[in-house]
Amino acid sequence: MTPRLAILCLEDEPPVRDAIVRDLEPFAPTVVVETAESADDARAALEELRATGDHVALVLADHLLPGETGVEFLVELHHDPDLAGARKVLVTGQAGLEDTIEAVNRAKLDHYIAKPWAPEQLRSVVRDLLTDFVAEHVDDVLPYVQVLDGGRLLAVHAKRAGDR
Amino acid sequence: MRRRERGASEQTALQRVGLLAALVAFVLPLVLQPDGLDAAGHRMLGVFLAAIVLWVTEAIPLHATAVAIIGAEILLISDAAVLPVPGGFEAPPFADFYAALANPVLMLFLGGFFLAEGAAKYSLDRNLARVLLKPFGTSPRGIMLGLMLITAVLSMFMSNTATTATMTAVVLSVTATLPPGDRLRTGLALSIPIAANVGGIATPVGTPPNAIALGGLAEAGITITFLEWMLATLPFMLLTLAAAWVLLGRLHRSPTKSISLSIEGKFETSRPALIFYVTFIVTVGLWLTEPLHGVNSQVVGFFPVVVLLATRVFGVPEIQNVRWDVLWLVGGGIALATGMSAAGVDAWIVGLVEWEVLPTAGLLVVLALIALGLSTTISNSATANLLVPIGLTMAMSDAVAVNPLLAGIIIAVGCSLAMALPISTPPNAIAYATGAVTTRHLAVAGLAVGAIGLVLFLGVAPLLWDLLGIAGM
Repeated sequence: MTPRLAILCLEDEPPVRDAIVRDLEPFAPTVVVETAESADDARAALEELRATGDHVALVLADHLLPGETGVEFLVELHHDPDLAGARKVLVTGQAGLEDTIEAVNRAKLDHYIAKPWAPEQLRSVVRDLLTDFVAEHVDDVLPYVQVLDGGRLLAVHAKRAGDR
Repeated sequence: MRRRERGASEQTALQRVGLLAALVAFVLPLVLQPDGLDAAGHRMLGVFLAAIVLWVTEAIPLHATAVAIIGAEILLISDAAVLPVPGGFEAPPFADFYAALANPVLMLFLGGFFLAEGAAKYSLDRNLARVLLKPFGTSPRGIMLGLMLITAVLSMFMSNTATTATMTAVVLSVTATLPPGDRLRTGLALSIPIAANVGGIATPVGTPPNAIALGGLAEAGITITFLEWMLATLPFMLLTLAAAWVLLGRLHRSPTKSISLSIEGKFETSRPALIFYVTFIVTVGLWLTEPLHGVNSQVVGFFPVVVLLATRVFGVPEIQNVRWDVLWLVGGGIALATGMSAAGVDAWIVGLVEWEVLPTAGLLVVLALIALGLSTTISNSATANLLVPIGLTMAMSDAVAVNPLLAGIIIAVGCSLAMALPISTPPNAIAYATGAVTTRHLAVAGLAVGAIGLVLFLGVAPLLWDLLGIAGM
């Protein structure tokens, strides 16, 4: 079985969460979206994902959440060696300048998507970041050629694979 | 963690069975001690049988089996054997087995790798494709022909896999603009791996089985020049390619009248790039003109290695990019042939069969079919590694009147023509990964192209070779 790519979506408002999941449906079944409504919830989801053997490739986090903020969670995630390769995105309308600076400097934020987003824009960012992840962290890139940026993954494959 | 490595825990059931079976296969001849072989023969037969099991099941990686063969030969039958072979066996020096890893054929291939590495580094492959595709216009049939020719030519000098990956990326940019359900998508995605598999046949550096055949032939004292190999194979490679093009047009008809294919880029003109272009042209030029200057292609193969490193066009990263696993896989095959020949195992296996009952042509057909069948499911190089020692010894035995050169070429060609499944070759796996090609598509086109190629190479090629005095029949 090919390991799937997992996206963790941290968002406390159900309609927004549903919208993200719906916008990312075209990536199924190679990509699976797990949702969480708080940082604690997200940690539990990550535990479960670890057990499945899927690659945790991307975290989409809102900033203002009950309890810990999205930026705080991303900073913590950045220091988890198991998730060193996971791409981090803030999807929010409420992160101030300081929070955003914090996210860039201490969580090495990969992208900032301002609400409301256009579905096509979200998919394009996700496709790019997942392709980055696969190119860097997955040995066999072929299973992801169809759903991600195939041209870029094939260029990676050309360097790695030989005749046998 | 940079990349997630597959741990030993993920060993499949087949691999566990494979390891066990390899152990049994190794011990069996030592216990049964078959007649006609001496003590060294029993040991070497064990190594050969274990190698078959390991290469078929891939219980350990292909290159691991290759180095295991060399290690086993040194420990079991060389002059450094842990338990010296009893009974007056003239044990080969252990250095002979290590020498397989620097066999001249491997150096020829190393030269090929350096050229391929530079072609990728300076995007020479993409740029050539961009320029050479222009004359083929905008009709789907024309573009497919252009893509197939360029892919085939590139794969004569680069690995079939890298060529397919690069050219499939080009195809993806076209197919993305086609309406859903257009069968041209399938046709184009199929045309690339087929062209790469077939193209690899036409030079000694095209694909590892060619090197393995050359290595085996050299062990037997038979040499063929770069140019002779090309003369012998190129015309039939092109005919097979043309047949594949016609076939794909029939199988995947499309209403699309015109497509536009835009490959971006321009030729690099930096100093290192220019040095590389010159080195490339000189190397290939020297390979093709051997009759004029008499310098062996295996000697020329080291030229790009020396020049590109000395001019600092390449450094340590490029040395590290060399596919040492592929080279060692070929080297393991050569060492296997050396060991089997030293211990008389190849002759013993050939002696098991009454070859006289088969007509000469029949023997070649059988060899080609075994090569094709085996390499449809297992690695092409492993197939060649297993078949070359047996096939060449058979061809050279007194009971058979087959030219060994013919046998060597046919085994290599048979391996390259196996492309009926996604797992048959890495290029097929790439086409399959695009989602535009199903197992059924590959089976139909792959079997047909394999059959056409086989008929051309077995039925027509020997006549031409006879005429040209190649394989001096």
